[in-house]
Amino acid sequence: MLKIKNIIKIIKDRIIVNNLSLNIEYGEIAVLLGSSGVGKSTLLRILNNLETINNGIVELDGKRLDLKQVSKSHTIGMVFQHFNLFEHLTVEQNITLALQMVANKTKKEAHEIATALLKRYELADKADAMISQLSGGQKQRLAIARTLALKPKIVCLDEPTSALDPLLTNYVAENIAELAAQKYIVLVTTHDTSLLEKLPCTIHLMRNGSIVESAKSTDFFANKQNYPLIAAFVKGNH
Amino acid sequence: MINFALLQTYSGYLISGAVVALEIAAIALIIGIVGGTLLALAQLYGNVLLRIMGHIYITIIRGTPMLVQMITLFYLFPLIGIIMSPFWSAVVAIGLNSIAYVSQIVRAGILSVGIGQIEAAQTLGFSPWQIIRLIILPQAFRAIFPALGNESVMLIKDSSLASVIGVAELTHQGSVIMSITFDALTVYAGVALMYLVMTSAVSLVLHLVEQRLSYVKN
Repeated sequence: MLKIKNIIKIIKDRIIVNNLSLNIEYGEIAVLLGSSGVGKSTLLRILNNLETINNGIVELDGKRLDLKQVSKSHTIGMVFQHFNLFEHLTVEQNITLALQMVANKTKKEAHEIATALLKRYELADKADAMISQLSGGQKQRLAIARTLALKPKIVCLDEPTSALDPLLTNYVAENIAELAAQKYIVLVTTHDTSLLEKLPCTIHLMRNGSIVESAKSTDFFANKQNYPLIAAFVKGNH
Repeated sequence: MINFALLQTYSGYLISGAVVALEIAAIALIIGIVGGTLLALAQLYGNVLLRIMGHIYITIIRGTPMLVQMITLFYLFPLIGIIMSPFWSAVVAIGLNSIAYVSQIVRAGILSVGIGQIEAAQTLGFSPWQIIRLIILPQAFRAIFPALGNESVMLIKDSSLASVIGVAELTHQGSVIMSITFDALTVYAGVALMYLVMTSAVSLVLHLVEQRLSYVKN
């Protein structure tokens, strides 16, 4: 289980993440829901050591995580909003580079891992293509594949639907659900409420850097009146 | 008017001068790219002392004529115990000059690489040096390739300054032929034509390479 405890992040006297705590089980999808600027992405960036914290700890399976080491230990992976794929490399090289240079796999091992992932994400025929030749959906699948290649325990997806055609939301939801089925701990930030209907998850509504209401998505859609804050946010987005 | 027979007679001199000019430009370009990249990295990621030293170096080099730098180095080196031929004095002078200009080109190229690329590499566990070597520099060099091509053309033309310290490059060879034939128009028209052929050929090759470096493989 991932336990995020009392995280505080302050930037220039402004509290971005305010004493936030959150537990997530393996195979669970936690969706951080909220408007822009409420601290959702900052929390993912903190977990991926792209931001420092002013206070708080993160534990995985009862052991404290050194956030400065998470990328080196490949405990946590990140799928960025705009994918951030390496434009100068081919599709396959985007996966194999870190495997060879960071995870010390041989060229053959890296190729085998990349081939399996590209097949799973329906990109096998694009292995030698450049990133500019991929569609938005393909880029996202490659970004997920690149992250999974390093076998993280936790996968973070920042605004997974915002850079894609709205028609692809179903497909994105399927991909995220598949991650949970494979027992990854999945953290998703979004302000896209249509994703919630398609994704069995735990919704955590954020405001001003804190979680103000949480609900299982199935419970929420069965009894919206029990979750007035999430209901108001969803209504406001429709 | 232009005496083509004269150019034909002395074509061997001119061609040997052109080869020397290309040698000077090529070696100076290598010095410029290697030194300029290191200087750009020092300026962007180095400590305060390195950044100040880099800034002073660039200010001096860009603020003084290359001809003056070359003559100064040519007379300065022997005083500090470094004995170099005129050829190598010219190469070092032009190379040192190129470092200052290339560093600014490389710096701009590095800054053009999006922060997202660097953050993605960080989350994948690449070390800072791996990020520079494997992610930033390859993308930066693709972005600045046209500017580096322009620099290489400039260096071919700058190599003509080596004539003042006695290097037998193209302009110097032209002066020698002119002192024999006294036909300045023909000789310097021929010299200019050879520079034009060299710079055009280099531009064409660079253009073809630039197309191959394009991200989209057709």
